[in-house]
Amino acid sequence: MKRVHRKNLRYHWKVYGFVLPALILIAVFAYYPAAAAIYYAFHLWDGHGPGVYVGLDNFRRAFADPVVHHGFTLVLILVIANLFKMIPSMVTAVVIHRLTSARWNYFYRAMFVIPMIIPQMVAILLWKFYYDPTFGVINALLENTGMLDGLVWVDQQLGWGVFRPGIRPAWLAQRELVIPSLIFWGFPWVGVVGVLIYLAGLANIGQDVYDAARVDGVGPFRLFLNVEFPLIMTQFRLNLILMVIFTLRNYELFLVVLGDGGGPGGGGMVPGLYMFRKAFVDQEAGYASTIGLLMFLLILVLTWINQKFVRVEK
Amino acid sequence: MKRFIKFIKEFPKHAFIWVVLFFALFPLYVTLAISFKDSQQFFNRPWVFTWPLHGYNWTNAWSEVGGTIFNSIFLCMVSTVLVIVLSILAAYFFGRFRMPGHNALWAAFMTLMMMPSVVNLVPLFSLLQSLDWLNTYSALIVVYTTAGQVISVFLLRGFVEDIPNDLFEASEVDGASHLQRILYIVTPMSMPIISTIAILRFVASWNEFILPLIILRDQAKFPVSVKLYQLEGAYIKDWGSLMAGYALAAIPLILLFIFSMRFFVKGLTSGALKG
Repeated sequence: MKRVHRKNLRYHWKVYGFVLPALILIAVFAYYPAAAAIYYAFHLWDGHGPGVYVGLDNFRRAFADPVVHHGFTLVLILVIANLFKMIPSMVTAVVIHRLTSARWNYFYRAMFVIPMIIPQMVAILLWKFYYDPTFGVINALLENTGMLDGLVWVDQQLGWGVFRPGIRPAWLAQRELVIPSLIFWGFPWVGVVGVLIYLAGLANIGQDVYDAARVDGVGPFRLFLNVEFPLIMTQFRLNLILMVIFTLRNYELFLVVLGDGGGPGGGGMVPGLYMFRKAFVDQEAGYASTIGLLMFLLILVLTWINQKFVRVEK
Repeated sequence: MKRFIKFIKEFPKHAFIWVVLFFALFPLYVTLAISFKDSQQFFNRPWVFTWPLHGYNWTNAWSEVGGTIFNSIFLCMVSTVLVIVLSILAAYFFGRFRMPGHNALWAAFMTLMMMPSVVNLVPLFSLLQSLDWLNTYSALIVVYTTAGQVISVFLLRGFVEDIPNDLFEASEVDGASHLQRILYIVTPMSMPIISTIAILRFVASWNEFILPLIILRDQAKFPVSVKLYQLEGAYIKDWGSLMAGYALAAIPLILLFIFSMRFFVKGLTSGALKG
């Protein structure tokens, strides 16, 4: 690493040229819009021309807006659900790592890369198809195993009024079913990238550790808690941050599956989708910026909590 | 006998992995099985392969999505190449020099890692509008590149820093210019991470959906993700052709992974993510 002092700058100023293109791009296409988003959050703005300064009106409106309340509650529910949905990837990575045969280990690793070839849009549309009331695999499975009758029976006992005999549930079109369907989405929740990241952390644990644990009579569950989990803590934290950001900002799924109205009764209206709708359907770009800013603040808080309470012990 | 005991012990792990793999690969099976059905076969037995196989679904699908696949390939290639070039240059700056202002500039990049781009979607759209870039690829390429380079500068810097200093001292003695050093030392030495970044960038751009949806007006310019969304939204669906279209959208990614599989399995799991 070459240290350049201020007084030598006139011989070395050219070096700045290497960072300049990247810097200009982030300044114009990342920082400028971010600053503009803060600016417009305090303005009444339809997305064209200058806005009208309205102070905190947009924020007051957002705090009183039932759709915003619903959206942020929903997104917190999804974050908590996704926390549990992180477990299968971890378990899968540990199981692959515990295989004694190196050849199988490599083979499974390769197999887990394959699902990455499925474009995200295709994955979303396929899951939407699984939930299809008439042709979907989920209803087919429930009908053929008799589980649908079971659901109808439970419904009759508890008086939900959701599952009725002889009618196939429309998972994504009935208000009560939308959220549970979206939480179940992607079963068994093994994220390919997640598995590969965990495997990278586990790679540090040699076979000798397992041999020692076996001699000491440590059971598989204790082994996970005391040996494997501490070692993948860094990866767990990385995945946790990625998951939180992903859950808050990715509304593609909701847009594709439920449309820009958030599905039946607006039940699936996450804040991101609401922002999208306000900006590009209702022409209220100022208010949309306010919602975006609130999302950003929530991400900041959650990231801070993550940094503070999920510690990595080296 | 010993082998048998070992088999019994290992069996539950294999069984577990196969169950997970079944779910992971099931979408591929469904797509393929349905893509060869006419509607009669689809209504009667949607979940298994049925004979005769109908190849015309694939030609139908190709006439719908073929052009958009090339659009996507173009967009992904250009933005990936730009990301790689720009981040090599920036990583050279951050990894080999301590210029005045180094820390502030680095912070400018790292802050963006935490800042989700979606939040500023609205002003970004209005900026692109005032540049008169709506309905153009320039808008998409520039935004993909901006979004992609942050993480790749971060990953590349680590690699560029680890290149032994002797190489650079020797090149300085020989009078090599900065560009020669980047071309003949930095780039070859960080090839593993460059390929990983390139693949991840390509896939990420392939999956972009919201931005092209709001930027592009011409159907002929759509990337494949937007086209599939539009086709699936049709009221009467021809499921066979639709599934064939899904499969076609994956083919470029399949080719990408076939060529890089061996390396990728190692790359992603070892050096690439050491943080």
